[in-house]
Amino acid sequence: MSIEIRNISKRFGNFVALDNLSLDIPTGELVALLGPSGCGKTTLLRIIAGMETPDAGNVLFGGEEATHVHARERQVGFVFQHYALFRHMSVFENVAFGLRVRPRKERPSEAEIRERVMGLLKLVQLDWLAQRYPSQLSGGQRQRIALARALAVEPKVLLLDEPFGALDTKVRKELRRWLRRLHDEMHISSVFVTHDQEEALEVADRVVVMNRGHIEQIGSPDEVYSSPASPFVYQFLGNVNVFHSRVHGSWAEVEREGENTEAGSIAFVRPHDIELDLAPLPGGMTAVVRHVHRIGPLVRVELEHEAEMIEVELTRERATTLDLPLGKTVWIKPRQAKIFAADTAKPADKQPFLF
Amino acid sequence: MNTRRATAEPRWVRLLLTGVALGFLFLFLVLPLIAVFWEAFAHGAQAYWEALQDGEAHSAMLLTLTIAAVVLPFNIAFGVAAAWAIAKFEFRGKSLLTTLIDLPFAVSPVVAGLIFIILFGAQGFFGQWLVANDIKIIFALPGMVLATLFVTFPFVARELIPLMQAQGRDEEEAAVSLGASGWQMFFRVTLPNIKWGLMYGLILANARAMGEFGAVSVVSGHIRGETNTLPLHVEILYNEYNQIGAFAAATVLALLGLVTLVVKTIVEWRMRKETEMLTADLPPEKTELPPSVATERP
Repeated sequence: MSIEIRNISKRFGNFVALDNLSLDIPTGELVALLGPSGCGKTTLLRIIAGMETPDAGNVLFGGEEATHVHARERQVGFVFQHYALFRHMSVFENVAFGLRVRPRKERPSEAEIRERVMGLLKLVQLDWLAQRYPSQLSGGQRQRIALARALAVEPKVLLLDEPFGALDTKVRKELRRWLRRLHDEMHISSVFVTHDQEEALEVADRVVVMNRGHIEQIGSPDEVYSSPASPFVYQFLGNVNVFHSRVHGSWAEVEREGENTEAGSIAFVRPHDIELDLAPLPGGMTAVVRHVHRIGPLVRVELEHEAEMIEVELTRERATTLDLPLGKTVWIKPRQAKIFAADTAKPADKQPFLF
Repeated sequence: MNTRRATAEPRWVRLLLTGVALGFLFLFLVLPLIAVFWEAFAHGAQAYWEALQDGEAHSAMLLTLTIAAVVLPFNIAFGVAAAWAIAKFEFRGKSLLTTLIDLPFAVSPVVAGLIFIILFGAQGFFGQWLVANDIKIIFALPGMVLATLFVTFPFVARELIPLMQAQGRDEEEAAVSLGASGWQMFFRVTLPNIKWGLMYGLILANARAMGEFGAVSVVSGHIRGETNTLPLHVEILYNEYNQIGAFAAATVLALLGLVTLVVKTIVEWRMRKETEMLTADLPPEKTELPPSVATERP
């Protein structure tokens, strides 16, 4: 079922959580709400679920007005960051809960409930845990049970609030791939909230980047990463080097070739988009090696250029070939950059830097 | 083994501290308890038994049990409602309510009793109206129930507030999103989660209700055989130099106290078991094969 959000605003005291926000979520898509903490993404999710009431605006489910429909009647499956399993019920009873609280006429028979619950537990591959209690499960298992419980009531929409936030990295990676596959099978409209850009880019069909109560950009994972609509999106999705106009002055070689380095603009360069060499690079500049961090397959080099820190990422192989001792002066040159006008924070209508 | 933890004190320090604590306990708790029974049985079991057969003693016991039986359901309702409001919702005046809940602990019980005299006594605010309508509150059961309610009100709420705050709202929200009505949510999710805390608060409230002296004393009027609770009865007998009667009645109170202690220990044990269940070491996540929907599903 499609979800439409029309001009939603929500305040908590003086804090504006959502500021006149509109968003369409088409049927069957897996959408990520991505943003830093306090950007309003969880509030938006809770408004869709009916757990918060917006101060203004409307929520439409499948084209029908749902703003004032009570949470229990929205037929929404909600998965919480901290699982929120009923601690005094067995795994089986947790999943069966949504069926057992139905009015007597709509309630399935005991046999049907058993069949449905065990089917869902098989789906999340935890049918062997049916008689356990939530406290006896690991975090990953708990979240899969929480998902089975949410799916038991056959929701029209599945909402997940930082579903993997409380899990360790390895389990998190497994579970998000699993969620993606589950979604491909069930085709239920799903919205999940995350502050982890990697998670959003990997799992979602579409990513909604949020900041301070409004939407910065909506697009496919590839779109938001490769053509960010604002400096915020650029900075939020991955590491970045920021060069202000102040620094520009020192990029004398740059200005010679580039035609769009006017004062008051900001240039963003990803650490892996900077070329580094020991020999002078035409149009490049010099910098001094301050730190070298070897992180798995990558080597992150921190360089100092006129009291500004610049981060460069190299492959492990390249770093070994170069052999970078601390304090050595090297040449660097951005391969590509993204320029935004500093005052408007809108993308400048210019070609990217050519150094 | 000679592994000493950094925080472990030398043996003699530990023995000294334990000894002081135990000695204190013996001097102020065990010794008086023994003294009560000693005095009660000073003239033999026969005299003790006869003292308990006294009609006034019986009516005092009955009154004490009646008051407790009336007060406890109110305590459940008020305590759960107040704790629910404070722990699960944000609203204006919340901190004021939190402070007010503690008021009965801060105010002397005698003052509490006097408040009810001022409100409902013959010369009080509602006195005229009550007399005109022939409703007796002061120097009667309703007044004593009110006074006991006042002094016992904080126990359940204070026990539940931190518990409910720690548990958060997630489970209730999950229940609602799964289609549960308000009552279903309360009886299937909230109540089972707080039942041992509620029980614990009720035990404390019950002990206080049965043992309350000051507030009840002010509003009771000490009408023998009518408005004397067990503690008041003990005092009257003692003031009349009826040692056996006073101490015999006191043993009943002491026994009630001991029963409370046993029940409290059981409930504490259950609560600890439940918290252990919540924080138990988790089995390691199975990592050998990533959960896959596609491969496993027939």
